[in-house]
Amino acid sequence: MKFEPLKLNKNEFQSFLKELAKDHDLFAPVRLAEGVSVYRRIDSTDEIDLDAFNPQKPLKELFFPQSEAMLRFEKVENRHRVTSADQIKKPRVVLGARACDIQAVSILDDVFLGKEYTDVYFLKKRQSTTLIAFACNSPLSTCFCASTGGGPFDRKGSDLFFIDLGESYLVEPLTDKGKALTQSTLFVKASQHDIAFASELEKKAVQKTDASLPMEGIEKKLDQLMESRFWDRVHEKCIGCGVCTFLCPTCHCFDIVDEAVNEQGQRVRNWDTCLSSLYSLETSGHNPRPSGRERTRQRVMHKFNYFPKNFKKIACVGCGRCIIYCPVNFDIRQVIQDAQKGEVSKNP
Amino acid sequence: MVQKKLREKAKELLSKKEVDLIIGFGEGSQPLRATPVFVRTPEEADRLVWNSFCENNLATYLHKFNRFKVGIVVKGCDARSVTALALEKRFKPEQIVLIGIPCQRMIDRKKLKKAVKGEIVKVREEGDKIIVSAEDGEVVLRRDDFLYPLCKACTHRNPVQETLLVGDRVEEAALTGPNPEAREFEKKSPEERWAFFEKETDRCIRCYACREACPMCYCTECFVDSSNPKWIEKSLSPSDLQFYHIVRAYHQTGRCTNCGACERACPMDIRLTYLTQKLNQEVEELFQFETGVDPGALPPLSTYKADDPQEFIK
Amino acid sequence: MEPTWEPKILAFLCNWCSYAGADLAGTSRIQYSPNIRVIRVPCSGRINPLFILKALQNGIDGVLVSGCHPGDCHYLTGNYIGRRKSATLKRFLEYLGVEEGRVQFSWVSAAEGGKFSQVVDEVTRDIKKLGPPKHFAKQMRVQGV
Repeated sequence: MKFEPLKLNKNEFQSFLKELAKDHDLFAPVRLAEGVSVYRRIDSTDEIDLDAFNPQKPLKELFFPQSEAMLRFEKVENRHRVTSADQIKKPRVVLGARACDIQAVSILDDVFLGKEYTDVYFLKKRQSTTLIAFACNSPLSTCFCASTGGGPFDRKGSDLFFIDLGESYLVEPLTDKGKALTQSTLFVKASQHDIAFASELEKKAVQKTDASLPMEGIEKKLDQLMESRFWDRVHEKCIGCGVCTFLCPTCHCFDIVDEAVNEQGQRVRNWDTCLSSLYSLETSGHNPRPSGRERTRQRVMHKFNYFPKNFKKIACVGCGRCIIYCPVNFDIRQVIQDAQKGEVSKNP
Repeated sequence: MVQKKLREKAKELLSKKEVDLIIGFGEGSQPLRATPVFVRTPEEADRLVWNSFCENNLATYLHKFNRFKVGIVVKGCDARSVTALALEKRFKPEQIVLIGIPCQRMIDRKKLKKAVKGEIVKVREEGDKIIVSAEDGEVVLRRDDFLYPLCKACTHRNPVQETLLVGDRVEEAALTGPNPEAREFEKKSPEERWAFFEKETDRCIRCYACREACPMCYCTECFVDSSNPKWIEKSLSPSDLQFYHIVRAYHQTGRCTNCGACERACPMDIRLTYLTQKLNQEVEELFQFETGVDPGALPPLSTYKADDPQEFIK
Repeated sequence: MEPTWEPKILAFLCNWCSYAGADLAGTSRIQYSPNIRVIRVPCSGRINPLFILKALQNGIDGVLVSGCHPGDCHYLTGNYIGRRKSATLKRFLEYLGVEEGRVQFSWVSAAEGGKFSQVVDEVTRDIKKLGPPKHFAKQMRVQGV
């Protein structure tokens, strides 16, 4: 670690945020209803829902929004005026991000910030954002980040790392960007005791997370299963909604549409889901993925076979949202285990 | 025990080849969940379970299997959905074997989660109690406090139509008209009611879990995907979110069985049933119709009576 | 002097009765509120509730749906079905919080030019009292995060 760990008392947290808010736009989990939260820009520090373990809508929303106006157009007299999307006016700070979501954003970097093509919308947001991560002291039974190259205390990708010690936070600046936010006198040097306690918490959390999912060789195994009848049974219960894809921090499919009424409109990019029957429907009427079987197979293959082929990493961070929120309890962990065995287990 | 009898019945049907497969519930991968299973051999029948987390309406799968002879596990509400679908000619009635289970009413797992500190690792039902193991140890809760609101108000817990009945019939609650919550809601001003509607739909993410979980939503082209005419856009604009929910609910007029699958599927916990409930109430009051009770009764919006109410028409 | 707000009202009129009735009002030179825009449909039963919603979403201040009297439908039973749809839709919209009177229904026959003008005047008066709708109309900007 380049920088010394610091400590911030919980009763100073609001003051810290107010200081940050002077020069930054703050983004944090905001509660929309009991048990439902999303990442949003906050105007007041009271809006933050720190009880939200992991908001339903993942961190990708802040870099790749569900609906984003790319440009706007209108007819003015006899000419067309095109204006670019909303500019980012202030540097942004995100609070309360979890390691899994941050790892996911790094995966999205591969998609949106490629060598041949750079998505300017994603880039601008990424460049102007400092990520403050919160460690997960109590991972859920559905958290399998440890099986996907991450962990509840994984610091990769975050600028500032907060660990909840009970009455205070241990704060680890990990990058210059992160360090720059800790200039306030509210931060004090962390004691050896604080550091040791944080270490204990980390050990406990890591023990709780599921590292047992057999990911080794999954890419090759799925290659062998491409034409298998395996998928006939796997896809059955999937009802083809978009919950898993929209709540997934790494899913990144989108659809671009022009919305126009009379003489004005906008070009909008919206999230799309490969599980929709319309996703691959062609104008001719032909659909290369005509049933849930092909679509479910596609989703699993994309995450654990196609993406690794292109980018050398699996497109899953083990956040568990797809397992928690799926209306029919489709469990990707079960699919991976079955795929490794080559057959759907009769008694899961 | 219902579960034992269910498995026996399933084994019987499958070994006699009276059905090609049975759609039922199996053990979920997490506590508080059951998951749909598709059982094709008598051995697999041991995967079938029955508990208070069997909350999905399995009739939604009948569209996928309409070329087969299917046995399907149904609660009271689900059975009525199957009748409604048969009326809409989605399959031939003789293709379906209804394995009806008089419903003990389902537990609201989201409400249960919120009532306990930390993650629930185990749950056990004992009569009218639920025993939950979580962070602070075991908590004993009253089952009645955690039923889904629609289940509490249910008047068709026994499957009205069924080919086979597993378990004993339960006593039905008397029909009492609109539930107290709906009555309170109707007393509010239009402003307040719209504010509630707006607040609920604002968090919609157009995942269509509600639509896919609903057995009655089976249009090959849903109105949201229509581009000519284009009714609504795909983006998250509040007006379009409101439009979507108004119309999806309205398309259930005379077809919805109050099974609650839509609300249970929603990842953002939107109170969807408060919409469909009202439409079911209306259809009852105006046309004395209840979905799926009389297999011969035509859907209310495709028929009429000469003396239908019209006091609102100038 | 401040101009009073004039609502824009969409009137769906069935071709055989209400539209003809409106025609009659015109040829009889009956004066009535100029606030309606007419859309001619074959039958009041053809009305898709989405038409009414789309109208409200696009900034229309009020909707009138008018058809043949029960028993007189050119297609025999169209207006009966329309009556059921209208009843359920009206109640549902009011339950949601759309003000009572923003969406209205009437039976006007081809001979009732007088009634048509009365209905339009009444509906216009009602909508004027309600004022412009404060909700549901679509804004063209996609909200940022």
